[in-house]
Amino acid sequence: MRRIATIAVLSAAALVAAACGGSSSSSSGGSSGPSGSLTIDNESGGTWACDFNPFNLSDISFSNGNIYEPLVFVNALQNAKATPWLATKWAWGSGDKQLTFTIRNGVKFANGTPLTAADVVYTFNLLKQHKTLDINSVWSVLSSVTQQGSNQVVMKFKAAGVPYFYYIGDQIPIVSKAIWSKIANPVTYPDKHPVGTGAFTMGKCTPQNITYQANRHYWQPGLPKVGTVNYPAFLSNDTANTYLANGQAQWGSQFIPSIKQFYLSKNPSYHYWFPPVANVTLFINLTNPILKNVAVRRAMAYAINRPKVSSIGEYGYEPASNQAGIATPTFASWLDKQQLASYGNYAYNPAKAISILQDAGFKRGSNGIFQTPSGKPLSFTVINNGGFSDWVASMQVIIANLKAVGIQVTPSNVAYNTWQSDIYTGKFDLGYYGQTGGPSPYYELRQDLYSGNTAPIGTAAGSNFERYRDPATDKLINEYAATTNPAEQHAIVNQLQKVMLSQVPVIPVTEGVDWFQYDAGSFSGWPTPANPYARPAIYIYPDWAQVLMHLVPKK
Amino acid sequence: MRFALRRLGFFLLTLWAALTLNFVLPRLMPGNPALAIIGKLKGGTSPQALHVLEQQFGIGTHQNVVAQYFGYLGNVARFNFGNSLTTQTGTSVGRIILNAIPWTLGLVGVTTVLAFVLGTGIGIVAAWRRGTWLDSIMPPFFVILTVVPFFWLGLILILIFGVKLRVLPYFFSYTYTLTPSLSLSFIGNVLEHAILPAFALLITTIGTWILTMRNTMITTLAEDYVRMARAKGLPGRRVMLDYAARNAILPNLTGFAMSLGFVLGGAILVEYVFNYQGVGWLLLQAVQNTDYPLMQALFLLITVGVLLAILLSDLATAILDPRTRAAS
Repeated sequence: MRRIATIAVLSAAALVAAACGGSSSSSSGGSSGPSGSLTIDNESGGTWACDFNPFNLSDISFSNGNIYEPLVFVNALQNAKATPWLATKWAWGSGDKQLTFTIRNGVKFANGTPLTAADVVYTFNLLKQHKTLDINSVWSVLSSVTQQGSNQVVMKFKAAGVPYFYYIGDQIPIVSKAIWSKIANPVTYPDKHPVGTGAFTMGKCTPQNITYQANRHYWQPGLPKVGTVNYPAFLSNDTANTYLANGQAQWGSQFIPSIKQFYLSKNPSYHYWFPPVANVTLFINLTNPILKNVAVRRAMAYAINRPKVSSIGEYGYEPASNQAGIATPTFASWLDKQQLASYGNYAYNPAKAISILQDAGFKRGSNGIFQTPSGKPLSFTVINNGGFSDWVASMQVIIANLKAVGIQVTPSNVAYNTWQSDIYTGKFDLGYYGQTGGPSPYYELRQDLYSGNTAPIGTAAGSNFERYRDPATDKLINEYAATTNPAEQHAIVNQLQKVMLSQVPVIPVTEGVDWFQYDAGSFSGWPTPANPYARPAIYIYPDWAQVLMHLVPKK
Repeated sequence: MRFALRRLGFFLLTLWAALTLNFVLPRLMPGNPALAIIGKLKGGTSPQALHVLEQQFGIGTHQNVVAQYFGYLGNVARFNFGNSLTTQTGTSVGRIILNAIPWTLGLVGVTTVLAFVLGTGIGIVAAWRRGTWLDSIMPPFFVILTVVPFFWLGLILILIFGVKLRVLPYFFSYTYTLTPSLSLSFIGNVLEHAILPAFALLITTIGTWILTMRNTMITTLAEDYVRMARAKGLPGRRVMLDYAARNAILPNLTGFAMSLGFVLGGAILVEYVFNYQGVGWLLLQAVQNTDYPLMQALFLLITVGVLLAILLSDLATAILDPRTRAAS
């Protein structure tokens, strides 16, 4: 404890010295200052590289939000509610082709330099100049980013770009022009000593642990309350689970089998919450001559007993999906219940699946497997990640369900690399994979259905792995980009749900969740179903910084 | 001399074959580093990111394989293994490995030597006192332990000493909030963290040494020169060590040299179960993340380590046992 206090005081002193403006920061060691030490527990599979470049995907989850901050916080768990962060206001204009941000006054980087609109303009143009830093491809829709007046930034779009607000506002961290303009190659820059505006600074990093210290000159008065955050490196899930259950870490993002017995039973102040955000989906290769037939896909959607997959394969942690592709309860307000009901909710109904196949002209062979009129059996291979034991168990249920209606599916549980590469390049009949989603259901539906996200078989597709192409659907997706009106957005998403229900391009099976365990005995202020102020998993940025700023140590 | 040269020639040939395999094998693996990174982010990023990463790694802009091969050989000769792609992006592979090696040498190296010394010692005594309680308990007990899966034993040790009794640290190579230094307290901390993994490694490997040593020792004890030594009335200890053990140890010595070579590869399971930051862990990471440069350097390190160990043990055997020279 004394060590930590010493380090904090030293770094605070260094900050004051660096500020060199002689501002009178009075009580930086006071009783109300940040205190306590939080240990976070998230299996990383490796030791830390101690790089913090916020535009490098390998490092991004260690510095985005806590050290470098974005303009806006968009909360996926509260219907994409946008909260000011480094920007105080924003407004769309010119037919949703122009977005103006007003940058907050009084924000300082950890080295004392004030944040200005010029830093924001610089950050975005840095991404323009170095395409490989632009991991959200915002420059595929932006045409220019310029400063207006003293504290405004104007972003012009090539086409209406409403959904990109999330990527531009929430996902891109703002860096200091003074520092980054001197870096010779920002792409390979390791950023060992990150300087941002965030609530935390990087205190010390070794291959085994990252220590973040509270930024005592943070622009939000009274924040953060937590003094030190330790982020140790765990190689395996078992290790991380043991450490968490043993009380040595307070915030976990772990998959824990039998969580009640292994974790909850250890301490009454231990809790967990797994909010769903996107679906784990059975992708169907639409270039396959048999699977091209919508009747086969509809039959499969009726044949799969999703609640059973959820309870047997996923310990009930991941709830059953609906065929509309809307993750509930998170996005329940978007679900068109009436439309879903008109398809019998695609509830488990093997008899219906069989009658659909019979009506479509398939005949059952002597082995009970349906055949095409030309005698080809409905027999497919499904690729799955053999390393995800829950997904392997889920697939066993799915296979048994499909077998019962006369569709034969052989599992191919392959190594991680093979699985990913085959999913992306379309080398599968059926493939099990989780979509990333976004702050509203539109993002996942776009990932599933937009033809711009697909590619020919053999070439890696962005997210439309089943290779669905439909001009009418593309048109809907583009129209959504041109409206900020919630009623119109809902109408479009309803029509996209119709595509999911009538065409069955993919079959959502269970809802992927954020893994989140917490010890309410040592800290208060955790996100809960009643107060879902941010996605609660450690690896979700910049949300994790919101959580860190809400936590209050209990004495 | 001719023998030594021939062994050396064979060593160089094997080394070249290993280098070439080392070049080919990682390239036959499915997937690529960009996919590995996307996977690590657990879905926290946009779909476009894959394309960006592929550009960063230069995927799809392959130079021709022959040029890559000769470039690779040249770099190996200069000990230049390039930069890590995914494990610790941009850091030189040499530095990553140098960071990990002391931990592995310290834990696995010391334990291997200890296991050899203790195991051989127990084997000698067990054979010498054949039929006593020592001989009927020790070898079977430790041999049974060698077939116990290491990770299972490791988990049991963690459960008992770490979780239930809370007397020993069970994860990490030192308390992670400390700054590594050469102070006594830090070294003590490292040793404390090494107790459980070292103990688990020791008791699961010692059985093999005991068994092989005891068996060759028993055969040797039946030799005429041992009987002769006894007949001369030499003290028992001298007969045991200088007459019997000295000859019986040769196969064990070869085995020991080889296991020393393998030390460089780390003990993946030990490091995995105890969250220890050694070479084994690094190897696992490199493979999972499709980090070609790191993988190549590690495989090379292990191959060269084993080849060198074999070469040395061949030479050592030749010195200890004149018959091996004559036969060649």
